[in-house]
Amino acid sequence: MPAIAKVHNTLVYKGSNFFKQRLVLSVLSGKPVRIVEIRSMADEPGLQEFEVSLIRLLDKLTNGTKVELNETGTAVYFQPGLLHGGQVDHECSTQRSLGYYLEVLLMLGLFCKEPICATLKGVTTNKIDPSVDHVKASMISTLKKFILEDEDLNLTIKKRGMQPLGGGEVVLRCPVRRQLRPVQLMDIGMIKRIRGIAFALRVSPAMSNRMVEKAKGVLLNYIPDVYINTDMSKGKASGKSPGFGIHLHTETTNGIFYSAESISNDVANGEEPSVPEDVGVDAANRLLQEVYLGGYTDSTSQSLAILCMALGPKDVSKMVSGPLSEYTVGFLQHLYEFFGVTFKLENYNSENDEDEESNKVMLTCLGIGYSNLSKRTL
Amino acid sequence: MGEDIPIEEKKKSHREKKSGKKAERKKAKKDAQNPNVQELTDKQKNPKAFAINSAIRAERRFRRKQDIDTKKQHVPLVDRTPLEPPPILIAVVGPPKVGKTTLINNLIKMFTKSPLSEVKGPVTIVTGKKRRITLFECNNDINSMIDLAKVADLVLLLCDASFGFEMEIFEFLNICQVHGMPKIMGVLTHLDMIKNRKTLKNTKKILKHRFWTELYAGAKLFYLSGIVHGDYLKNEIKNLGRFISVMKFRPLTWRSTHSYLVGDRYEDLTNQEMIRKNPKCDRNVSLYGYIRGIPLSKNTMVHIAGFGDLRIHEISFLPDPCPLPEQIKKRALIEKEKFIYAPFSGVGGIVYDKDAVYVELGGSHSHKQRDEGDETNIVANLIETKETLDVKMEHSEMQLFTGGKTLMSKDMDVDESEEEEDEPQLYEKNSNKEDDELEAELAQLKSKQISNYKVEKIEDSGRIRRKVVFEESDDVLNEKLAMSEDDDEDEDNDDEEDPEEDDESSEDESVEESKIKPKTQPEYIQLKENKDIGIHSKITDVLKNLNTKKVSEKVSDSTKKVVKSKKEESESDDDDSSDDERNLSKIKAMKIDKFEEVEFDDESDNEDEEDGDDENDDEDDESDDEDSRKDNNSKNEDQASESESDDGEVDLGLKWKDNLAKKAEDAFFERQKSSKNLMKLVYGVFDNKYLKPQDEEIEEDSGDDEDNIGGLFKKISVEQQKLKMEKDKMDLIESTLFMPWNSNIRNWIDPENKLLITNRFVTGKWKESEDANELLKLDDAEDLSDIGSDVYGDFEDLETGEKFTAKTPEAENGDGKGEKRKRDLNDKDDMADRVKLAEKKKTLKEKFDADYDKTEKSTFYEELKSSAEKQAEINRSVFENMPDEMRVQLEGFRAGMYCRLEFQDVPCEFINNFDPTYPLVIGALNMVEENIGFVNVKVKKHRWYKKILKSNDPLIVSLGWRRFQTMPLYSKLEDDMKFRYLKYTPEHVTCNAHFWGPITPQGTGFIALQTCDGSAEVIKHQGFRIAATGVVQELDKSTQIMKKLKLIGYPMKIYKKTAFIKGMFNSSLEVAKFEGARIKTVSGIRGQIKKAASKPEGVFRASFEDKIKASDIIFCRTWYKVDVKNFYTPVNTLLLPAEQKNSWRGLRTTGEIKRSKGIQSQPALDSLYTEIERTVKPFKPLIIPGRLQKALPYKDKPKHSVKDSDKKKQISRVAVIREPEEQKVANMMKMLKASFEFKQGQLKTQTKERLAKYKKTIEDIEQRKSKKLGEIKKDVFRKRSKAELKAQKKANKK
Repeated sequence: MPAIAKVHNTLVYKGSNFFKQRLVLSVLSGKPVRIVEIRSMADEPGLQEFEVSLIRLLDKLTNGTKVELNETGTAVYFQPGLLHGGQVDHECSTQRSLGYYLEVLLMLGLFCKEPICATLKGVTTNKIDPSVDHVKASMISTLKKFILEDEDLNLTIKKRGMQPLGGGEVVLRCPVRRQLRPVQLMDIGMIKRIRGIAFALRVSPAMSNRMVEKAKGVLLNYIPDVYINTDMSKGKASGKSPGFGIHLHTETTNGIFYSAESISNDVANGEEPSVPEDVGVDAANRLLQEVYLGGYTDSTSQSLAILCMALGPKDVSKMVSGPLSEYTVGFLQHLYEFFGVTFKLENYNSENDEDEESNKVMLTCLGIGYSNLSKRTL
Repeated sequence: MGEDIPIEEKKKSHREKKSGKKAERKKAKKDAQNPNVQELTDKQKNPKAFAINSAIRAERRFRRKQDIDTKKQHVPLVDRTPLEPPPILIAVVGPPKVGKTTLINNLIKMFTKSPLSEVKGPVTIVTGKKRRITLFECNNDINSMIDLAKVADLVLLLCDASFGFEMEIFEFLNICQVHGMPKIMGVLTHLDMIKNRKTLKNTKKILKHRFWTELYAGAKLFYLSGIVHGDYLKNEIKNLGRFISVMKFRPLTWRSTHSYLVGDRYEDLTNQEMIRKNPKCDRNVSLYGYIRGIPLSKNTMVHIAGFGDLRIHEISFLPDPCPLPEQIKKRALIEKEKFIYAPFSGVGGIVYDKDAVYVELGGSHSHKQRDEGDETNIVANLIETKETLDVKMEHSEMQLFTGGKTLMSKDMDVDESEEEEDEPQLYEKNSNKEDDELEAELAQLKSKQISNYKVEKIEDSGRIRRKVVFEESDDVLNEKLAMSEDDDEDEDNDDEEDPEEDDESSEDESVEESKIKPKTQPEYIQLKENKDIGIHSKITDVLKNLNTKKVSEKVSDSTKKVVKSKKEESESDDDDSSDDERNLSKIKAMKIDKFEEVEFDDESDNEDEEDGDDENDDEDDESDDEDSRKDNNSKNEDQASESESDDGEVDLGLKWKDNLAKKAEDAFFERQKSSKNLMKLVYGVFDNKYLKPQDEEIEEDSGDDEDNIGGLFKKISVEQQKLKMEKDKMDLIESTLFMPWNSNIRNWIDPENKLLITNRFVTGKWKESEDANELLKLDDAEDLSDIGSDVYGDFEDLETGEKFTAKTPEAENGDGKGEKRKRDLNDKDDMADRVKLAEKKKTLKEKFDADYDKTEKSTFYEELKSSAEKQAEINRSVFENMPDEMRVQLEGFRAGMYCRLEFQDVPCEFINNFDPTYPLVIGALNMVEENIGFVNVKVKKHRWYKKILKSNDPLIVSLGWRRFQTMPLYSKLEDDMKFRYLKYTPEHVTCNAHFWGPITPQGTGFIALQTCDGSAEVIKHQGFRIAATGVVQELDKSTQIMKKLKLIGYPMKIYKKTAFIKGMFNSSLEVAKFEGARIKTVSGIRGQIKKAASKPEGVFRASFEDKIKASDIIFCRTWYKVDVKNFYTPVNTLLLPAEQKNSWRGLRTTGEIKRSKGIQSQPALDSLYTEIERTVKPFKPLIIPGRLQKALPYKDKPKHSVKDSDKKKQISRVAVIREPEEQKVANMMKMLKASFEFKQGQLKTQTKERLAKYKKTIEDIEQRKSKKLGEIKKDVFRKRSKAELKAQKKANKK
């Protein structure tokens, strides 16, 4: 979805797809962006609640941002300011999970003026976005590869909350860095352990045990080192809506995390209630699917890793990833438009991969030498 | 060496003295020494035994060593210099009349042996096998000095030794310091002006030491002793040249994060017609130069110093106009490799462009002799320019003699592969014979061509350039075209460029008709704009057949024959490549939709397989059609030349077959790198918009032919499809997840699926290099190979130990020995295994070394250094073997490339007022740097600047690439991190300043000037022009600068600790804002503002810690935010006419305005100094109440005793009553006293009278005396004069 026009410095796009990417890249590159025809033909035209919430979050995070919406909300003009960071409290829309917003914070956090300490409230897990556990396990560990010292980069889950009402709360801390470092991420290593967490909120705690049992049943076929916690949240810490789910992640000998999850259906939304056993098996299968796809990051963190590569110093970075997700492909395209970065993409076969249908991708790029312009030097 | 020895033997050896004084002395010395030698101390004999004598000394020694080591260390930087670096930019700087031009001329002369008649702008020379330099003279303008300091790699700082250092030098040094110190070499000239040897020595010494304090101790200072015949001494110049050639440079921060160019050529591409209509219309301009710094990405903004920000409309790289010699065979440069490139100076008289050749003529006078003189001159010029001959001749020849403008595409002709081909040729050509031939040919051709070339005049900044246009008959043209197609070797022309040339070729026909050839730009532009339109793409395809490129030198009259034979030979190779380009645009349309389909299939597993199938299909097709291809090819060409004449209507029916060769090639490529498909998948979307298509591999369908035949219709449907797809995709839900919500997942318990991933787990199979089992075996093998087979007697089953070692790595998964035994061992297997084993051992050894051996070296610094080196190695190697077009996509235009940047909508002043002596610095702006915000800088007024700087006075700042005027606000960072407003900069300390300006990375230095006016009186008035220097600290979109504000109020009513205060605020609203604020009285009683009172507006209630007095004054200390003015204007000196370039004027300071208008500011009355008048205050007497008085101790009691004077008064005599006797006596005495007093009085008056009388008489006498004397004198003089008169009369009578 390339830009339909380029007016002076402003990129003009059509449609609501990749809204988040565009805004994030706009903030990082300092280029204003105009998005038109947002759901102009839909029943509910214009920006939706979660997108407005995202704009609000970006406004809190930056200084000097200008946003112009037209009357129907089908067109947005976004002129980014400079990243500020600091203490941010944000009530996120319950339409999307916190993962949607956390990704933004992780992409921008390193380039703020002050270290981010963000408290986000809303839904912690849904089926569209990576859950907070997912962000914690895979995205943060991915980001750590690009900075020298990863002190103070952490995500704590205070409360969990399921759809539709949410009620979850997380705190993200992210340090400030002047520059990223170039990486050569080629050796993936072998998976040495599987960990996970099962939670049942406002339902019987037995649910989580049932999920764990089944998930383990699948995973133990591959590796004996499987350990899944159960999170029995009570009271306020369990959010406002009932539901349960399980999150699993693997760790390789080289410290790479793949994670996957599965949650129960939203009964309030008219879906039929799901069986915990199915959820457990589904999560395990999803995890194994991630393992199968492989790469230096799991499929969800690809875009974050790619961004960090592109924003690195003027050096060559290399990374092996699994097959590119559609989101990542879009992200690469947007990176090209905002930063002019072209990645060299090749199929990658490591020497001992006998399975010839390996579809890993080797991403090579020359960083643009991005540096944190917000940070103060004394 | 064999010859040397006999020569040495012949030499007469030194004969030692055996007798005499000298011999004795020597002998004595020897004797004296001898005993000493024998008496070595123990320590000397065995130093190791005394290694550590004292722990303290050892510690000191160690510390000292560490100190020295640490001092040597620099932060290791990743070496990003390209393999073929751009020429080193040498700026020659100095005040006027120090000999800059002479020095440049001499250097050019030294390096090239052919001096330029006039040096203007940069001159690039090849000085060595691996080094080129660009010389640039800096004129005496602070703007030029600033711009050059930002880009120069080496500065030759000239100084007139007879005069001493001038301000310009120090100004320049300061500029350099701020913008990243380039290497600076001082050069002292005019040394011959100092006649006295001693003073010469002294001045040299003084200047050297001054120079050292400015730079660093030991900075190189050159002495050019004097001018002989208008030149410096040859030896000295040579020495200087050598120094320049071996100079090493350290990367500077700003330049290693930004790419930049120094423009050495420009071209106005605007349509002549537009200019004719409106001479002030915006122009399209192309600028040329070597990329420096880091690679230049094509969609960045650039800033042209002295002009402003621009967006690159188009960028392309050109063959190097001043290339380094290709092979390093000898130590010295061959004469022919000593290129010189200086378009502004008009070197060689010929300037090449992408689509034209310009021949420079002498000026307006040369018109007169044009008929004969010029024609010979052109060719003579060609022949004369020997230094560029061997490469340029290829282009020039072809351009001048083969055909019309179509053949002038010199820009196309350097490709890596082609260059390789050229290499041997180049050296062959060096023989004189070839040159002679060339010249002969030139002469021959000259006679042929002279009759039909035309000259187009272009006025260009005072210089007249003539564009050469050739006219030829149609068939000749066709011939040439055909030929050119055959010789078509290169593939590197861009899509953008092609149509231009094609247009040119089509233009040539129009030339035939009109015989007058204007520069037909409008067509070109139009075509370019319509590029996306389908029909046009077809046209271009055909036109591309006419693509003209490089021609070999063997152009002669018999071209036709040669061409034909050549054609047959080279068809199979060359046509592929030319077809390649031709088809690209055609295929593009189909390509795009195909990719979109692929893209959203998103069954990632299947993608590659599909692609593979496609390839195979393609191949089959191609092999079938291969045979027919050749025949068709020649037809196509004919057709192409035909179609050219009817310009628009083109028969495309037969064109499809051209694809075949391309297909074959593509298939080949795809087999090699399937990666391209991925690239396609992602970046294919941009093809029609941004990317140049030939960079991408092309996928093709087998249903290709249909597409082409019905191209027009297909295209539309494709477009519609695309639109529909876009619409579907436009509003999809954005999700990071690879497998969102309801996608089906494989069942991984299934054993088939399980196989796929079992090896990803530690429980699965490991890599051979990591598998513990393998490693263990390898260890065993190592032992075995070291010691031999005998050691392990228990392996008796095996025949030899060797065989066992060879076998070990093969054994997998703990297979039993039995299997091994079964295998028969053949020798080949054995060898291969051994090699494999050796490799493994090597890697293991490395690992071991890394772990254990490097204990000493693995310091933090070493690690940093090695990682930087490793990164540099990766940077170099990753893109090394790619074609340049691809590399440019991935990493941008790397440093050292000669590039052409095209800009649109450039104001006409840029062209009209262009002056090559002003540096044309084009600096790329990184991300966000094109934006504007508040810049917070640390600033210090320069200690040599006379005045202090005032807040909100405009200041010219040079920051990053830019020079701009802005209005800074000075402030001081307080301890509570608040910026407190300052009205003036403090002296000798830094302060902060905020200004509205371009966002520039933190840590970037800047200098500030108050004016960049270079007129004499301004300079004289200012003395030192640099007002301040500083560094960027922070960037933001808002500022928080606070000014102290003290609000004052007076108590209106006071109750105990509460008081109503008036006069501080004007309304209750204001009060409301300050509720809770702290206040304080002058006497120090603290309080708080409570609430506004209702009645008198602005009065509020406040509470204090104590009761205040009605006379107290109450303060409220607050801060007032001061706003920085959003004023930013770039200094556009490049746009000014030549005479004003040095006197740019922007905003004036209020002081300047007042001075010019004669406005005297009225001082505030209360701040004037007046005499202080103090009225004396009378105090009331102190009254102490009686009670208090009583209570007081005696010493403090008021004393009511009588005053002394009163005392005297009071002491009156006691009345004495006398006896009558006594009374009489007393009376008597009284009378006596009275008479006595009376007598005395009388006496006094009498003497007074007498005295007065006496005085009078005396005076009278005196008067009389003087009267008498006067009379006598009168008499005497009368007599004397009478006597004189008499004497005179007598004399007269006599």
